[in-house]
Amino acid sequence: MADQTYFDDVSVGDAIPTLSVTVDPTQMFFFSAATYNGHRIHYDKTWATEVEGYPDILVHGPLQAALLARAVTDWVGPDGRLVSYAIQNRASAFPGEELRFVGTVTGKHEGDDGRGLVDLEIRGEKGEDQVLMPGTATVSLPRRG
Amino acid sequence: MTAETSLIPDEAKAMIGSETGRASGTVVKKEFQRWAAAVKDRNPLYFDAEFARAHGYRDVVMPPMYLSYVTLGVADLDTLRPDGIPGGGGGDLPLPHTPRRMAGGENITFHEPVYDGDVITSVRVIEKIEQKHGRSGDFILVTSRTSYVNQDGVTVAEAMGSMIARP
Repeated sequence: MADQTYFDDVSVGDAIPTLSVTVDPTQMFFFSAATYNGHRIHYDKTWATEVEGYPDILVHGPLQAALLARAVTDWVGPDGRLVSYAIQNRASAFPGEELRFVGTVTGKHEGDDGRGLVDLEIRGEKGEDQVLMPGTATVSLPRRG
Repeated sequence: MTAETSLIPDEAKAMIGSETGRASGTVVKKEFQRWAAAVKDRNPLYFDAEFARAHGYRDVVMPPMYLSYVTLGVADLDTLRPDGIPGGGGGDLPLPHTPRRMAGGENITFHEPVYDGDVITSVRVIEKIEQKHGRSGDFILVTSRTSYVNQDGVTVAEAMGSMIARP
């Protein structure tokens, strides 16, 4: 995390480090609590399966979004900034599944204050490349020297 | 799509273009740190003031993705919907034919950092309410725009968000 990414060192096509996370019900509970979310599909298995027809309780879309953002902010380092972030919820994720949060550099351009802007295609996925959450992000990075 | 099959009541359509939610909240460091811990995001910018200052911030900075939670209100547990979502207030739309709710997507632009003690006001405007046809039947897609302004009148972020409502 303390590593810094510099605009100069980034190339279109670069992959950012993949963040792999397997969410469990305890983490889901803490996320519900931290976001004041009482939606039963995230903690009441009977409700999720028998009333809503899901195979299990659902990992929150906003938790997936936060993990995907974490993959980006971990990569940009402490002098990088998240400028914009866009995602879509495509599929459901369940506790116990390995979720992967990935990103690829798609563009580089000039930013303000002598910094550089980098565009990313980002994605949450699971299993055999099943897309949970496609998206894009733009980050601001410092230049070397 | 004929009128008979519309899942969108007129009273919901009438809310398009209007402000449906305005809320304020004070940023509390411990709350955003609890959120970051729940994401297992131990970024020192969120936890270590000295580290944050060394990187140009004036204090620990709020994780950008925490923003939408700052202005959440206090739920009345007696008026929750059966699925545990707040039933009234908060800009909820009258969509009785499509009670199941899912997050659609979001698109946020962050302009300024947010710190402990900042007072954030969010203003939400409904942009679109559309009936869509999906693999598992028709659903409603609600698109809204939310601006987040701090106590100095500075817009710290703007977000477009969508919500899916299913029968």
